[in-house]
Amino acid sequence: MNYRVVAYILGWVLNIEAAFMLVPYLVSLIYGEQEKGMAFVWVMLGAAAVGTLMVIKKPKDTTFYLKEGFVTVALSWIMMSAVGALPFVINGDIPHYVDAFFETVSGFTTTGASILSDVEALARCSMFWRCFTHWIGGMGVLVFLLAIVPMAGGTHMNLMKAESPGPSVGKIVPKVKNNAIFLYSIYIVMTVVMVIFLLVGDMSLYDSICTAFGTAGTGGFGLYNDSFMSQSPYIQWVVTVFMILFGVNFGVYFLIATGKLKDAFKHEEARAYFAIIFVAAAIMFIDLRDVIKGTGEVLRHIFFQIGSIMTTTGFASVDFDQWPETSKTVLVLLMFIGACAGSTGGGIKVVRILILFKTFVKEIISFLHPRSVKKVKSEGKVVEHEILRATNVYFATFMFLFVGSILLISLEGKDMVTNFTAVAATINNIGPGLSLVGPTGNFGFFSDFSKLVLSFDMLAGRLELFPLLLLFCPSVWKPKKRLNV
Amino acid sequence: MAGIFSKNDKSLKIIIVGCGKVGMALAERLSHEKHDVTVIDTDSDKVTKATTLYDVMGVTGNGASFNVQNEAGINKTDLIIAVTPSDELNLLCCTIAQKVGECAAIARVRNPDYSDELSYLRKQLGLSLIINPELETAREMSRLLRLPNAISMNSFAKGHVELVKFKLPENNMLVGKKIKDIGASNLGVLICGIESEGTLDIPDGSNVFKTGDLVSFIATPINTLKFFKHIGMKSKHVKDCIIVGGGKTSYYLAKQLTEMNISVKLIEKDMESCEELSTLLPKALIINGDGADESLLFEEGIKETGSFIPLTGLDEENILLTLFAKKYSKAKVITKINRGTFNDVIDGLDIGSVIYPRYMSTETIVKYVRGMQNSIGSNIETLYHIFENRAEAIEFEITEESQVTGKPLMELNLKTDLLVACINRKGKIIIPRGNDTIQPGDTVVIITAHTGFKDVRDILK
Repeated sequence: MNYRVVAYILGWVLNIEAAFMLVPYLVSLIYGEQEKGMAFVWVMLGAAAVGTLMVIKKPKDTTFYLKEGFVTVALSWIMMSAVGALPFVINGDIPHYVDAFFETVSGFTTTGASILSDVEALARCSMFWRCFTHWIGGMGVLVFLLAIVPMAGGTHMNLMKAESPGPSVGKIVPKVKNNAIFLYSIYIVMTVVMVIFLLVGDMSLYDSICTAFGTAGTGGFGLYNDSFMSQSPYIQWVVTVFMILFGVNFGVYFLIATGKLKDAFKHEEARAYFAIIFVAAAIMFIDLRDVIKGTGEVLRHIFFQIGSIMTTTGFASVDFDQWPETSKTVLVLLMFIGACAGSTGGGIKVVRILILFKTFVKEIISFLHPRSVKKVKSEGKVVEHEILRATNVYFATFMFLFVGSILLISLEGKDMVTNFTAVAATINNIGPGLSLVGPTGNFGFFSDFSKLVLSFDMLAGRLELFPLLLLFCPSVWKPKKRLNV
Repeated sequence: MAGIFSKNDKSLKIIIVGCGKVGMALAERLSHEKHDVTVIDTDSDKVTKATTLYDVMGVTGNGASFNVQNEAGINKTDLIIAVTPSDELNLLCCTIAQKVGECAAIARVRNPDYSDELSYLRKQLGLSLIINPELETAREMSRLLRLPNAISMNSFAKGHVELVKFKLPENNMLVGKKIKDIGASNLGVLICGIESEGTLDIPDGSNVFKTGDLVSFIATPINTLKFFKHIGMKSKHVKDCIIVGGGKTSYYLAKQLTEMNISVKLIEKDMESCEELSTLLPKALIINGDGADESLLFEEGIKETGSFIPLTGLDEENILLTLFAKKYSKAKVITKINRGTFNDVIDGLDIGSVIYPRYMSTETIVKYVRGMQNSIGSNIETLYHIFENRAEAIEFEITEESQVTGKPLMELNLKTDLLVACINRKGKIIIPRGNDTIQPGDTVVIITAHTGFKDVRDILK
């Protein structure tokens, strides 16, 4: 381990987080909440001071391997959450630190699971920070870092690989820096467009921005206790459409932006993503057509819920915990599929499901024709053995972690559905589950231990498991031997 | 935020086809110089390695395929560099890329079959540059053997012309004479720079030589030798050379050395290669045997030879052989190192001059790319900074008639501190005198203390 470089990058992350905290402070000034807002200033000053100390000297030895990338990313996210939780504790909106940590992790990982029973009671600046963490976490802080801080050689790719979701991380333009700039440009433009659409629907500017942050990051912190249940159909449709758009692989937007509409339309993962949405909607329509009155109403709620769950956002336009079992099951299955790789959404990712399914078909064929040779293809290209292996291992690891977490949560003695969906909703970065943790419930009743387990699941889910798991390998922490030449 | 989005307009979009030793070295250098680099290789492992180590994008596939080039963004590319192991594939890559993308193209062509036709190929296929690392390596080696007097040497016009710098010794016949009186132009030599006591002169004929001056002149390789002979600078000529190994570099080197009347012994293991080499190199003595065999080396006179150059495919063997030669003889030895690793260890060994072919070919390309950055929108072919950056040597391609073409040079109203140093007319080198003219289709090397020339017409007052 090259601790010096890791510390250097962590220092930059702290500085950036400090800069981001300026925004909620400004919000507090606008709404006359100086007292609550001062909490952000104190944390900001502290973080900036420590961060500056860490970056003041550039490390001489810049060796940076994948291991360093993983550890840096995992530590960055834990550190961001730990620091980001402080303002809530200091200004008293969430007095208990573990609660605040859970809430911030939930924010940065774009989960949207909350421990608050009454979100409307929060100060506006705290609320803003809560939604802003979604937006920051959606695209990733290290991607942002890559856009503005020049790094040496191998640092780029190893950081990007560790933070970006998806089985194989490629670039769309040669320079990592330009990649990061491009991704953030799309992200910012789409967020702004969404704010405009919400403003047209008579939402206030503050609500529009917070809602757009929650949607863009596919986060899911609602501004109101009933999430979107009392919003107008127009707002619900706008949110639905944008949730689904933010769940699409950003590579598709690159293709559209560069005029390759044909290729964009042929994008296999995006096609599968929309196909799954429509199939799920069809099943649920049959199931729900008698439960909810009016075809328009049914469709609106179905698409809102599917968009919300599949992209792992976690808004709700209706208490789907009351829906019939078939619909609930479809929603739970969608939780696991998740959004596209290269989007802001979580879950296992559509492309992995595709690869797993194709591998399954291939194996079936090889039972029938043991000597058959067949390569799994994705996006018209052969999937390298390494990626197949990584995908299978990912799935297995995911299941181990999932089962293990359920076991740990079940120690509290809650019902099976609550435990199962609580873990599913956090590890897939969705937010609400079913039963006690359903759209109208929250995670506040869990013990501190369970909250920490679920926080871990959220981070593991957002960072695709391995960066976090790697922290537990003792050999990672061995200092690098220096050769004195 | 605005600063982040501002584009660095100096960076070029470059595609490198082939991730071998040269491809990787290029990816490293060019991405380090902030260009947008995309690498293409059929081997996905190599592509992954390149994208992990350097800030470049990777595409797996056949670089000569239109679809793969398209995926790599050929239509917005400024330059394609083909350095796959196959010459024909490299040429095909470049040809296709130019049809699709209208970009500059550099191909590596190293098969001796094509070596005499490189300039023709380049013209016909419209390539910007053809590199032949083996040939360049051989040239560098033969230069080192040939001119112990030279302090430095830059080659121009694809190696047909060289700029040689040497220190004028005491009591030389040139001391005290004016440039115009020494008759250098009769020898095909142009004195193009005199550095004395830290100042640089681009001479106009009236300069006087002084002892200790650093004199630079431009000439073809053969004329360089003649010039040194003429001015009576005793060069400890290497008269003979033993080469071990019969690869491409050996062939090029042996050919150049025999042309310069250095007697060559070439030791090669494989009988078939020996027969082929003896057909191609009638003047060289080809010996069939194991070059790593001590007794054979003694028998063939390693103790008496003037120079010894092992060119086997293995770095380790080459190093061992030069160490051996150093121990038993006073021969000038040159070691070729293919890989770029373990430099610290290699530097510590007494193995004579060390040549890294892969750096040489990357240097050539990087030089070209830099020239390209300077030449977007003008007809500069290549640009070199010389004399510690105090002057520029610019190679212009003359595409059309203008005020400077068709007229004898002495009738042109040229700027001071400027020399038309060389005219390359379809591979024929002319060291210009007052009566020579510049013609469309030529490439012209201008040496000047002015900077920022964008067009050949800038040479006029």
